[in-house]
Amino acid sequence: MIECSPVKGAFAPLIPYVKPYKTKLALVFALVVGVVVVDLIQPWLVKEVIDRYVTVSSPDSSGIFRMSALYLGLVLLSFGLTWYQDMVLQKTGLSIVRAIRIDLFRHIQQLALRYFDQNTPGRIITNVVSDTEALNNLFTQFLANSLRGIFTLVLIMFFMLRLNIAIALYCFLLLPLVLFMAVFFQKKIRAINSEVRHRLGLLIGFLAENLSGMAIVQIFHQEQKQQKRFDERNKSLLQSTILENQWFLLFFNITELLGDLAIAALIWYGGNGVIEGTLSFGVLYAFVGYIRRFFQPINTISQQMNPLQSAIVASDRISRTFMEIPEIKEVDGARAPAVVAGSIKLDGVSLAYRLGYPVLHDINLLIDAGEQVGFVGATGAGKSSIMNLVTRFYDVTSGAVVIDGKDIRQWPFEELRRTVGIVQQDVTLFSGTIMENIRFFQSDISEERVREACRLVGAEPFILRQPQGYNTMLSERATTLSAGERQLLSFARVLIFDPKILILDEATACLDSATERVLQNAIQRVSVGRTLLVIAHRLSTVQQMDRICVLREGRIVERGTHDELLLQRGDYWKLHQSGILLDEAA
Amino acid sequence: MTGLRIVGSHMMRNRVVYASGITLVAAGSLFAAQIPRLLGHVTDRLQEGTLGRSEMAGYVGLIILIGVVRVAAGWGGRVLVHHKGRELTYQLRKELFEKWSTLSPSYYHRHSVGDMISHALSDVEVVRELASMGLNQGISGSAMLLGSAWLMVVHVDWRLTLAGLGPLLFIPLLVRWLGPEIRLQSQRSQEALGSMAQTTEEVIGGIRAVKAFGMEQVVNSRFQDCVDDIVEEKMRLVRLSALFDSLLPLLVNIGFIFVLGFGGYLVTTKSISLGDFVAFTLYVALLRMPLEQLGNVINIVQRSIASLNRIDELLHVLPEVREREGAVIDRPLQGSLEVKGLTFRYPGSQRDVLSDISFSLKPGQTVGIIGAMGSGKSTLADLILRLYDPPEGTVFIDGEDILHYPLARLREGVAYVPQDGFLFSSTVLENIGFSDDSPNLKRAKWCAGITAVHDNILMFPEQYDTEIGDRGVRLSGGQKQRLAIARMIYKNAPFQIMDDSLSAVDTTTERLILENLKELSTASSIIISNRLSALQHADEIIVLESGRIVERGSSHAELLSLCGVYAGQWFMQAGLSFGGESEKSEADGSDAVLPVDLDIEMEVLESGRFEEAS
Repeated sequence: MIECSPVKGAFAPLIPYVKPYKTKLALVFALVVGVVVVDLIQPWLVKEVIDRYVTVSSPDSSGIFRMSALYLGLVLLSFGLTWYQDMVLQKTGLSIVRAIRIDLFRHIQQLALRYFDQNTPGRIITNVVSDTEALNNLFTQFLANSLRGIFTLVLIMFFMLRLNIAIALYCFLLLPLVLFMAVFFQKKIRAINSEVRHRLGLLIGFLAENLSGMAIVQIFHQEQKQQKRFDERNKSLLQSTILENQWFLLFFNITELLGDLAIAALIWYGGNGVIEGTLSFGVLYAFVGYIRRFFQPINTISQQMNPLQSAIVASDRISRTFMEIPEIKEVDGARAPAVVAGSIKLDGVSLAYRLGYPVLHDINLLIDAGEQVGFVGATGAGKSSIMNLVTRFYDVTSGAVVIDGKDIRQWPFEELRRTVGIVQQDVTLFSGTIMENIRFFQSDISEERVREACRLVGAEPFILRQPQGYNTMLSERATTLSAGERQLLSFARVLIFDPKILILDEATACLDSATERVLQNAIQRVSVGRTLLVIAHRLSTVQQMDRICVLREGRIVERGTHDELLLQRGDYWKLHQSGILLDEAA
Repeated sequence: MTGLRIVGSHMMRNRVVYASGITLVAAGSLFAAQIPRLLGHVTDRLQEGTLGRSEMAGYVGLIILIGVVRVAAGWGGRVLVHHKGRELTYQLRKELFEKWSTLSPSYYHRHSVGDMISHALSDVEVVRELASMGLNQGISGSAMLLGSAWLMVVHVDWRLTLAGLGPLLFIPLLVRWLGPEIRLQSQRSQEALGSMAQTTEEVIGGIRAVKAFGMEQVVNSRFQDCVDDIVEEKMRLVRLSALFDSLLPLLVNIGFIFVLGFGGYLVTTKSISLGDFVAFTLYVALLRMPLEQLGNVINIVQRSIASLNRIDELLHVLPEVREREGAVIDRPLQGSLEVKGLTFRYPGSQRDVLSDISFSLKPGQTVGIIGAMGSGKSTLADLILRLYDPPEGTVFIDGEDILHYPLARLREGVAYVPQDGFLFSSTVLENIGFSDDSPNLKRAKWCAGITAVHDNILMFPEQYDTEIGDRGVRLSGGQKQRLAIARMIYKNAPFQIMDDSLSAVDTTTERLILENLKELSTASSIIISNRLSALQHADEIIVLESGRIVERGSSHAELLSLCGVYAGQWFMQAGLSFGGESEKSEADGSDAVLPVDLDIEMEVLESGRFEEAS
C-alpha cells in the first residue's frame, strides 16, 4: 500500500461505500466507451463513403445506404445507452452519498456535547451538507465528465493514428497548446470570478443592511450618502463583471481562431498530400472533422480539477468526523435505581473542558428530592457547567454526580434523560407544528395530553390565537413566536415528559410585564413535585428558592436562603445592592 | 409586456452601440457560415485534380482571412453588447436602490428584505441575460442558421437541405420543452438540499434539547427523510437531463445520417458535387450549438418578461409618505410638540393602534411613555418621525401641522434611537457621526462619553476606526444601544426620541446616561420604555394601554399613588431593579442600608398586592 497515491489515500474512507457498486461502475465505464465511439465514428464514416463509394470509378449508392442504415442502428442504440449510462451513474452516486450522509449524521448525533461546543454549527452543517454534496459532484460531474473527456480524447488520437500517422503526430502538437490555454484561462477566469463573487457579496451585504435599516437612513436624512456608497459598490461590481466577461470572450474567441488556423494548416499540408497522391481525400476530410473535436474534451477535463479538489478536501473532512469517538457512552449493564425520587449529590466534582483549565473545582452539594435551588453568579462562574454535568452532557473530570444514590455514569441514557429535564433560555423549536414541537414528534403522546399541559402552563390562549391553533407550522427559527411564548411551549413540554429533576435556565430578556406574569405562574406550575435547579438572572425568582448557591470562579462561595445570604453581606449582598442580577444582555 | 420598455429604452439610448454590436455579431456568424462552403470548394478542386500549389495557398489564405474576420467581428460585437448589458444591470440596481430609499416603513413591513435583494440580484441578472447573452445568441444563431440554409438551398439542393437540417430544427423545440422543466426540477432539488441543511441546522443548534429529551431516533429519521427526498428530487432531475443529453445528439446524428445516405446517393448520381456533400456534413456539425442557443433564447425571453415586469412595478411604487403640495413651512424646527386627539390605524388595518392621544412638549422638556408590547408606543414615535403620516390636524411642531413640513426639514430636526440599536457595518466613528458626511472624531468621543461607551471603544482593536459587525467587533446589545444613543446626541437635533433604547443596558449605567443627557442636552425628548427606571427624569409620564392613555402624571410618586397600571408594573419590576428607589437610599446615606431596602420592598409588595386585589 506504499504506492497509494495521495488522491487514493484521500478517498480511502469512501471505499467501503463504493464497493457494493463496483459492477455498476464498471458497466458505466463500458457504456461510456461505446457511446463515445458511436459519436466519433462519424468523420470516419464520411471518409469511408468518400474513399470507398464516391471517388472510385464506379460509384455505389447501395453501399452508402447500407452504411447509413447500420449507423442509424448504432445511433439509436447509443441514444438508449447514453440515457441508461447517465441514469446508472447518477443513481449510483446518489446512493453512495445517501449512505454516507445518513451514517455521518448518525455518527455526529452520538458525539458528546464537547464536539458541538468545540465546533461551530456552521462547520458541522458544512460537513453534513456541503462536503457530502462535493462528494456527490465527484460522481455526477467529475467522474461523468472526465470519463467522457478522456475517452473522447484517447479515441480521437486512436482514429487519427489509424488514418495517417504523420499528420496525426502534427495534430498532436496542438494538444499541449490547447491544454496550456485551457489551464491558463480557466485559472485566470476563476480568479476574476472569485473577485466578482466577493464584490457581489459586499453589494448584497450593503443592500441587506440598508434595506433593514432604511428607517434609520431616512430619519437621519442620509439617503444621498448611502446612495453614493451603494453606487461605489455597484460600480466596482460592474467593473469586475465586465473584466470577467472580457477574459471569457478572449478565451472563447482565441479557441475559435485556433480552430480555424488548425484547419487552414491541415488543408495546406493535407491538400498538398492529396495533390501529390500520397493521401486520399477522405482521410483529409476525417482529419478536418476530428481536429475541432480536440478542443471540447480538453476544456471539459481541465474544468474537472475544481470538483476533484473540493471532493478531496471534503472527503478528508468527512473522514476526520468519522474518526471522532463518542466519549460519553452507556456502560454495559447500566441500570437505573429502583426508585427515582430526584435527589442529587455532587461529590467533589471538578470539570475541565480543556485539559489543565478547570472551570469547576471540587464542588460538593447535596440537593434533596423536591428541593428548589437557585444558582447565581457572573458569566463564566460555572452555573451552566454544573447543569452540563447533571444532564451528563459532559462527564466529570473528577468526583461524581450521583442521582438517587447511583453515579449517573452507571445510569442507562434513556432513564437518565427521562429523569433530568431542561428548559433552556433559547428554546429550541423544530420545523413542524406547535403540537409536534411540544410532544417532540412522538405521536404516541396523545393530543389531549398536550392540550392539557398547555392549559396548565397558560400557553393555550396564545396557541389558539395562531392561524391554525395547535397545527400552526413553526417556520425556521420560529421567529413568529416571542421569547416568552417559546418559553411557555417548553414548559408544556416539561409537563408532558414529566422529569423528576428540572433544570431551568431563566430568560434574561426583558419581557413585558404581562408575559412576565404568565411565565412566573408557569414556572410555579411546572416546579411542583420536582427537584428544581434554576440558573437565575433576576432577584425576584431567587428570593423564593429553598436555597441559593452563589458561584464564583468555579466554586460555591456562599449558600443559604435569600435572607441568610443578605445577612452574610458577601457576594450575594453586593449583587443585591447593585440592583442587578442581570448580565448585560449579549 | 410593459416591462420590456425598460430594455427597449436602454437599447434606444445606446442605439449606436447596439446597432454596431448586432451588425458585427451577425456579420461574424455569416462569415463563419462560409467556411464549410469554402472547404467544399477546395474538395471539388482537389477531386478534379485542377488545384495547383499557388491556388491552394490562396484558399488557405482565404480560410485564414475569413477565420480572422469572423472571429474579430463576432468578438467585437459581443464585447459591445455584453458591456452594455452589464451597464444595464448597474443602472437598474442603482434605480432600484434610489427608489427603495424613498419608500416608507409600511412598504418594508409588507415586503421581506430577502425578496427585495432577490429583485436586485436575480431579476436584474435575468434582464442582463436577455439584453446581452440572449441578444447575442439570438442574432448569431439566426444569422448562422439563415446564412447556412441559404447557401445550401441556393448552391446545392433544397431537398438535401431539408433532410439534413430538418431534424436539427427540433433542437430549439427540445430546449424549449425540456429547458424550463430541467430548470424547475433543478430548483426543486436545490430546495431539497436546502431543507436538509435546515434540518441539520435545527438539530445542531438544538443539540442540547435533542440529547436532553433523548430524541436522536426521531431526529435521525427526520434527517433520513430529507436525504431520501434529495435522492428522489435529484433522480427526477436526472431523468429529465439524461433525456435531454441523449435526445440532443440523437437529433444531430439523424440529420447526419440523412446527409450521409441521401447526400452520398446524390453524389454518386452526380446531382451534387463531392464538395457540396462535404460542406453539408460540416454544416450539420456547425449548426448544433447555435440551434441549442436559439432554444435557450426563447426561454430567456420568457423568464425575463416576468422579471422585467416585477422590476417595472417596483420602480413605479409610490412612497406612502411624501411631500405635501402647497403650504410648505420651510424653517428649522424649534422643539415644541403638540399631539391633539390623535387616532391612528395602519393602512389596510381595521383596528385603531392609537386612540385619542393628546399631550404636549415644550422645548427642553421630556415626556416618558410606558406601556406593554403592542400598546402603541412605537407607533407614536413613527408618527412623529413621519415614517407614517398621521391624520391631518393631529400632530403639530412649533404650532404647525407636521404634514406641512418638507420631509428633509422634519428629519433634520429629529434624532432617534431605535429599539434594537440598529448600527451599520462601518466604523464606530462613522456610526456615531452617521448624520455627518465626514464625522468629527472629537465630537464622536464626546458623545460616546455621555453614553458611557467611550471606554468600551478604547478596548476595541482600532478604537474609533474599528469596523462593527462580522468584519470587526461584535457588540453586545447594551453596547449597540449606547452607540445608537451617541449617534442621536451627535446629530444635535431639537427633538430626541428614544424608543426603548436602554433595555439591554444595566440600570446603573442607564441612570448615568440619563443623568448625563438631562444635564447636557437642551433638546425636547420623548423617552419610550418598558422599564420605569428610564422615566424617572421625565416632566410628564404617560401610560399607554391598547393605544389609549390610561394614566398620566408628572412624577413617579403621583403615578404610584394612583395604584393603577403604573404601580402594578413597578411591583413587577422592583424585583429586577431598584433604579427608582436606590436614589432615596443613597440620599439617606446611613449605614443601615439593608433594613431601609427591606422596608421599601415590603411597601412595594404591599402596593403590588393591592393592585392585584383591586
